[in-house]
Amino acid sequence: MRWSLAAAAAFVVLATIAPLAQRSALYDAERQVRLEGAVTRVEWVNPSAFVFIDVRDGGGVVANWAVEIGNPINLERHKWTRRSLRIGDLVTVDGTPARGPNRQALARSIVHKASGKRLFDMPAARPGGTGRAAPAPRWPDGQVRLGPAPGQKGYWSATGTKALVESTAANVRMNDEGLLANLTDADRVAPMLPWAKAIYLHRQRTQLRDDPITRCMPPGGPRQFQMPNGVQFIEQREVGRILVLMGGGNRNWRVIYTDGRPQGQAAEAVLTYYGTSVGRWDKDMLVVDSIGYNERFWFTNGGLPHTEALHLTERFSRPDASTLKYEVTVDDPRTYTRPWTGGWTLQWVPGEDIEEYFCEEGNTP
Amino acid sequence: MRKVAAFLIASVIGLSVLAGTAQEGHPLTGTWSGDWGPGVNQRTHITMVMTWDGKTIGGTINPGPDAVPVDAIALDVTKWTVRFDADAKGASGPVRISVEGQLNDIASAHRTITGTWRQGTAKGDFKLTRD
Repeated sequence: MRWSLAAAAAFVVLATIAPLAQRSALYDAERQVRLEGAVTRVEWVNPSAFVFIDVRDGGGVVANWAVEIGNPINLERHKWTRRSLRIGDLVTVDGTPARGPNRQALARSIVHKASGKRLFDMPAARPGGTGRAAPAPRWPDGQVRLGPAPGQKGYWSATGTKALVESTAANVRMNDEGLLANLTDADRVAPMLPWAKAIYLHRQRTQLRDDPITRCMPPGGPRQFQMPNGVQFIEQREVGRILVLMGGGNRNWRVIYTDGRPQGQAAEAVLTYYGTSVGRWDKDMLVVDSIGYNERFWFTNGGLPHTEALHLTERFSRPDASTLKYEVTVDDPRTYTRPWTGGWTLQWVPGEDIEEYFCEEGNTP
Repeated sequence: MRKVAAFLIASVIGLSVLAGTAQEGHPLTGTWSGDWGPGVNQRTHITMVMTWDGKTIGGTINPGPDAVPVDAIALDVTKWTVRFDADAKGASGPVRISVEGQLNDIASAHRTITGTWRQGTAKGDFKLTRD
């Protein structure tokens, strides 16, 4: 059987992991489409794999559709390969069509016509970390490790709620891309100045179509901890710095200096996507102070704006081996009426490293 | 021939990069350039720098020896309209500049402001494009 149960399960699990492109901007969630036809091609490319099928309409005209099925790295991790589908297989696809005239769809389910087996599904749940709640590993001096224990490996993955919303705001519903279910909730997301709220609402109303991340711009600020392929901390204590390696985005890294150097003045800093960061340990919490951001990126999903005055204070704590609590205070007086704080939790993915993954602009059909 | 081809390829890549790096902060901040005038054959070049300090949008028309400071630029974010006044140096005293415009395509790296530019007794249209 070409379609193994493992592969089917992989689709069930992995379809919820969003690729880099903003799906809300690309696909029209208000419509659904059913496509039946033979597979003509399988494109195993980042950030999303595609299956192409020839679909014959009622008039007998055949058109080729591109069906997005998910991130290939995650698919492969769950034993789904480019050879799991064969040219000529007849399938039925239920999915969400692209906005506009393109013959493209985001698959919600795929059924193999010959066997009747459901091969692809889009459940609401997404995988959580599989690590057990053991104590957080520590260095010989007792300091909590942000990475694995000696001889082990692993990384942090954003799961569950990962939208940046002021922590005092309750019940602000938004999807994984940060799109609000109700635009009237905008005031509760963050205390924005009028221009910032207007920009935020514009981005929301346009389905985040102008998100720089879709052009493979780096995910600076808290957004690096919202990316689907996780992050890894490399603690280089001998040189007083921590490297944050990003599995998503365009495979960047960020440096947090822990050698006691003072934070530079924002006006003196070279403005960058990741800013200049200095960190210090406050008991079991790493507190990181960052300034010097440019304005060429969205610092969180959903399109909250910022200016060069952005000042972030991030707090990382690891209450157990499987949990990393991330909290960030956003202080940008040119964008927000006051400092505000939000955060979420990352889960440990044991036994794996973040895998090679590059955002490549224009690499979809 | 190879050098020409390499130059063209580099130019295309460079333009592609520039096109992709929008300024995502306050929509007026940055350097703008364009012109104004009463007709297509009577145009005057404008360079304008705008800043945002959290309270006021400031600006300078034609930075340099003949710079004209603009104290306060009004931005109506409900309609994305822009309005400002300034006094330029004239031969016989200050010349009032009054500008009303519309901010277009706010998500673009090269968003524009178009509208009406009055300078002294002259009046014309203008277009500024963010560099």
